[in-house]
Amino acid sequence: MCSHTQESQTSRASAQRHGSELSLRTLLDMGFTETQADQVYEGATKILGRKSVTHDTSTITALLALGLNASSIVKIFDKCPALYTEKGAVVQQRIQNLWKLGLVEGSIQRVISYHPHILTIPAKRVNAAVQFIRTKCLFTAQQMREILRDSPEVAEEDLNELEHKFQYAYFRMGVKQAEMVKAKLFKVSMEELRCRHCFLERRGFYQTPDKKGQTLIINPKLKDILSATEDIYLSQFAKATKEELDVFRKLVAREDEEKGNTLEHWDIE
Amino acid sequence: MATQRLWNSMAAQGVLHNKNFDAMYSMQLGELWPSVRVSLLSERKYGALVNNFSCGDPVTDLQSLGCRDFIASSSTAADPFSPPYSGSHQFYQHIVNEGTGIDLARTFISPNVKCLVFPKGDTSRFKPARLDSAGLLTYYLMDAASVLPVLALNVQKEESVLDLCAAPGGKTLALLQTQAVRFIWANDWSGSRMSRLQRTLNSCLPHDLLSEDKLCITSFDGREWHELGGNTFDKVLVDVPCTTDRHSLIEEDNNIFSRSRTKEKRNLPLCQTQLLLTGLQAVRKGGEVMYSTCTLSQLQNQCVVEQAISLANQELGITAEIVDLQPFTTLFKDTFHFAPDLNVGAMVLPHLTANFGPIYFCKLRRLS
Ligand SMILES: C[S@@+](CC[C@H](N)C(=O)[O-])C[C@H]1O[C@@H](n2cnc3c(N)ncnc32)[C@H](O)[C@@H]1O
Repeated sequence: MCSHTQESQTSRASAQRHGSELSLRTLLDMGFTETQADQVYEGATKILGRKSVTHDTSTITALLALGLNASSIVKIFDKCPALYTEKGAVVQQRIQNLWKLGLVEGSIQRVISYHPHILTIPAKRVNAAVQFIRTKCLFTAQQMREILRDSPEVAEEDLNELEHKFQYAYFRMGVKQAEMVKAKLFKVSMEELRCRHCFLERRGFYQTPDKKGQTLIINPKLKDILSATEDIYLSQFAKATKEELDVFRKLVAREDEEKGNTLEHWDIE
Repeated sequence: MATQRLWNSMAAQGVLHNKNFDAMYSMQLGELWPSVRVSLLSERKYGALVNNFSCGDPVTDLQSLGCRDFIASSSTAADPFSPPYSGSHQFYQHIVNEGTGIDLARTFISPNVKCLVFPKGDTSRFKPARLDSAGLLTYYLMDAASVLPVLALNVQKEESVLDLCAAPGGKTLALLQTQAVRFIWANDWSGSRMSRLQRTLNSCLPHDLLSEDKLCITSFDGREWHELGGNTFDKVLVDVPCTTDRHSLIEEDNNIFSRSRTKEKRNLPLCQTQLLLTGLQAVRKGGEVMYSTCTLSQLQNQCVVEQAISLANQELGITAEIVDLQPFTTLFKDTFHFAPDLNVGAMVLPHLTANFGPIYFCKLRRLS
């Protein structure tokens, strides 16, 4: 399924051959160029302190084993220096967990490259988020995997916040799970979701469907509302100026603050 | 399904339940309606009408917070050509022809009325006004656009004024801030609202100004008022009851469009016309009447004015002309969004960057 490059295969082999202490030498041996090795080594010493660079290479080994190449790994550490402080075995176990959750070859590499932070979160916590998405928000297993792939941020998010966002889209906007997945709902902050939706609603361009799911106007798709750049959102959907949206953002934030986010328990029929 | 209900009620705060509004106003305002709609459903802005009768000086404080007096800083005559709305060529022509229209409008505006507002796009709020050493409010918070009909009425020294529907008194207070009024008659049919007016005036005015020879407060039905005698006042303000768009948009139960209040709604334009007719009768020849509302509804604005002018002519033998307010509104185009292309009167449209209004006002001059 996945085609490893020559480079990564030799890297893998050398990673296994060499001792586990992180040093420029070992990095070079693992297939990093000199600049890349410098970068990783510098990064590690910065966060761990020069003396305590007794860190081993097992995290890097694990990443190499996934088929990620040296330059991707440099980027990963760059994005998430905290990863240097994680134990290799733990990282390995977290990667295992992602496999178990059903992320497939390709997806898993994408998730880690895009959001390496996920490897710093305990598997327990990731699983709790997944469990929540499955049982409380009633997403299917397939939908859950798509969510995890497209918005790995969910794994870190506060469950109350997740709940709030889901409820908002479901009850307030009348959007079903499949459409939420397409819209990559969980990538967007609650503030932005509320701002973009309320602005349209108050301008007369969005209506909460009634009990039968009907509206008097045709609502724009959640995906279109959320993925549009601000310019396009303004010109195509809100038909407003940036000045208006800027003021509205401030007003909605204040409304929220003053109302206090008093949400009660909930369930879906 | 507690949550479902909760969300629905939250939805209700942001949603217009009344289709009538959308149908009516999108027809009337076209492309401007969405911007007005979102403004009506969002927090409005206020202005601080400075109380000249208080010995405190709130202006410096307010200015340090970023406020400015929109009247003093109104557009200068040097800048008559920057368009209030693009595309109104006729309008420039008009200004060019009249030449000094704006200068003229400016000279009539009372130098004493001060109203401070936060600049466009600034969503800061005013603190409640403090009391000065004499126990008077240093300023009075009201919709800044409500000051416009008062300013446009151009009360001159020693004039007498009738404020036919005066409660709760914001405009009465603004009229008094001109310090030009010799005598003011404040009337309002509603007794309970009249006591609010009394409270407003007491909290802002020293006792000597509240004396009977300067101020008369009554609670008559304004439609019958002319029976008390006419042709006497220099200026009359007819600030009629109307559908308050900001409220009716949100509160479904007390909505004037709801079935239980349909009758009232149907009678409203009639009542407004009658009140305006009273105003035209009460004013002297050459005097001026200001008709104003806080609704966007043409039916309650332009139509009432036109109807009243023709009825006054046919049934009372009173002729009145509409005074052009364009030079006046041009002065304030940096503070308010005025509706473009209004033939009769002027209207402040709410806009998120300057969420004042809606206020409609139209000035009539009695000729005979
Ligand atoms: C828009 S409010 C006036 C606001 C006031 N001018 C101010 O600036 O504070 C309209 C008022 O008209 C009064 N009103 C209603 N019907 C009336 C009538 N027939 N005669 C006199 N006043 C009336 C109401 O009680 C209400 O206070």
